[in-house]
Amino acid sequence: MALLKVKFDQKKRVKLAQGLWLMNWFSVLAGIIIFSLGLFLKIELRKRSDVMNNSESHFVPNSLIGMGLLSCVFNSLAGKICYDALDPAKYAKWKPWLKPYLAVCVLFNIALLLVTLCCFLMRGSLESTLAHGLKNGMKYYRDTDTPGRCFMKKTIDMLQIEFKCCGNNGFRDWFEIQWISNRYLDFSSKEVKDRIKSNVDGRYLVDGVPFSCCNPSSPRPCIQYQLTNNSAHYSYDHQTEELNLWVNGCRAALLSYYSSLMNSMGAVTLLVWLFEVTITIGLRYLHTALEGVSNPEDPECESEGWLLEKSVLETWKAFLESLKKLGKSNQVEAEGADAGQAPEAG
Amino acid sequence: MAPVLPLVLPLQPRIRLAQGLWLLSWLLALAGALALLCSGHLLAQLWHLHTFLAPSCPFAALPHVALAAGAVALGTGLVGAGASRASLDAAHYPPWRKVLGPLLVVGTAGGGGLLVLALGLALALPGSLDTGLEEGLGTALAHYKDTEVPGHCHAKRLLDELQLRHHCCGRHGYKDWFGIQWVSSRYLDPNDQDVVDRIQSNVEGLYLIDGVPFSCCNPHSPRPCLQSRLSEPHVHPLFDPRQPNLNLWAQGCHRVLLGQLQDLASMLGSMLAVTFLLQILVLLGLRYLQTALEGLGGVIDGEGETQGYLFPSGLKDMLKTAWRQGGVADTPAPEEAPPEEAPPKEGLPEA
Repeated sequence: MALLKVKFDQKKRVKLAQGLWLMNWFSVLAGIIIFSLGLFLKIELRKRSDVMNNSESHFVPNSLIGMGLLSCVFNSLAGKICYDALDPAKYAKWKPWLKPYLAVCVLFNIALLLVTLCCFLMRGSLESTLAHGLKNGMKYYRDTDTPGRCFMKKTIDMLQIEFKCCGNNGFRDWFEIQWISNRYLDFSSKEVKDRIKSNVDGRYLVDGVPFSCCNPSSPRPCIQYQLTNNSAHYSYDHQTEELNLWVNGCRAALLSYYSSLMNSMGAVTLLVWLFEVTITIGLRYLHTALEGVSNPEDPECESEGWLLEKSVLETWKAFLESLKKLGKSNQVEAEGADAGQAPEAG
Repeated sequence: MAPVLPLVLPLQPRIRLAQGLWLLSWLLALAGALALLCSGHLLAQLWHLHTFLAPSCPFAALPHVALAAGAVALGTGLVGAGASRASLDAAHYPPWRKVLGPLLVVGTAGGGGLLVLALGLALALPGSLDTGLEEGLGTALAHYKDTEVPGHCHAKRLLDELQLRHHCCGRHGYKDWFGIQWVSSRYLDPNDQDVVDRIQSNVEGLYLIDGVPFSCCNPHSPRPCLQSRLSEPHVHPLFDPRQPNLNLWAQGCHRVLLGQLQDLASMLGSMLAVTFLLQILVLLGLRYLQTALEGLGGVIDGEGETQGYLFPSGLKDMLKTAWRQGGVADTPAPEEAPPEEAPPKEGLPEA
């Protein structure tokens, strides 16, 4: 009735232990890789936290870092256990710890799978954080004199140059905000006064964009101002002009960058998870095979290894029973302590 | 026929020599690998900047030669490590005996020659960068407007990306842009009086303006970038002449690129110098080890003392032996063969 029984003779047991030892040390390496991936993602998120309003969620990189460290610890411990498993004297001191250790390993694997899923699913929250952050960033673009926000212009300019994007969803976002500081506006000029009077909030709105939106691949020198006025520029039609400015919005550009980063990290973590599951199964087989050695004096004898002693359903029932017993014994002990009577069960 | 620079090597010093040689060989391999990486990096940088370097500039030869020198140094290091390891173990040494001689010759002639050549180039070539960059950047600036001329249509994009990435403007400063026409004639309105005036105002009929392309703009400036009419400060409201530098990039691309490439070349040069020193030490050590073990007849653990040397006899004697060997091969006189076989035979075991 045991689940997936396999017969083990001495040679097979030794081979299993050696193979597991090697796999555990590779897994320590994989844990270090996951740790560094998490660290890299954390640094990348921090680099651009200005355009994300400093409110981005660091859950994914933090959990990757944690999982990497845990994986290193658990797998080096498992490596030590597998190394000692070949020597009956050394193995005897590990014997009582192995069952709880395997339970912890199973929990760790489940946690690793959840972290992998998170890597793929974080996209949605990142999108809304980026939308808000970029909107605020563009709003503070002109505040180069306000302490605490004076760096926003530089940040947005360098972002648009590096990611080849313009505005939040497109370059028209710049038409709706005042991105030129009042300090550099000549208020005696009629044009400035007209523009300020033309809208309710008294803002100086132009149909122009900052220089960082310019696309170097354009065959003509960059047109930044009077973008919707075809007659202001020779041989220019704003409806058909495509190469003048970057067409992508920065939200989409940043989102695709971070998504591809997290997707590749998720793929690597998935592979590591599969590796870890294999190691846990192998460790379980080694544990049961060594338990099954009937005669401790004769190391050459055959034994059986299995995943679960009974079938899945029966094991689950037995597990629930033991939980109930645990609960009952606690209850009865409490009653017994009060009334001074002997416990009925447990 | 006294050996050149002999060194008495009993067993313990021989073992010490082999162990020290093993360490030095790994250091040489590391230095060779670093020189390889450094020259690869320089090659990548040059590939990015090849439009801005005049084709006549010989600087591109340096990373190629350094690449070859680094590879040979890496090989020498690995061989040295293997040979010194084998010399401590009697079972593994015999296959190395035959190979070591030719390897030493190749290492000295090939590796040493390449390293000396690379070092020489690293010292001499950076001087040619100045004129090469001057010419290359001048050509790129002149062709900025030729976005429709095949062969030069990428000049605008590459120059814009260069100025954006390296934070520079023009060749020596932003005023370089005032002296060339960087707006393509295709986008100039022939009916505009201002355009006609400007074209007629100079001999060559160029449309010159006191403005710069957008890529010269400095994002650190607190105000939106001022690109046009830079010679007339009164046009721009509240233009603060005390702070002109923040608006555009102050440095010229010539100085920035020259500094960058010269720094890379000097780093490569120092790497090559270290590799050269290590290579000399390793080759000397290997030669002494080889000749000492030959003196024992290839028996490693022999307790006897042997002599290691650089050359079996002085240079004159070696040339005489080589000449005689060549002479015997040429003259097929059988009656003189037996007495003449003896001297060449004497010469052979010592070589």
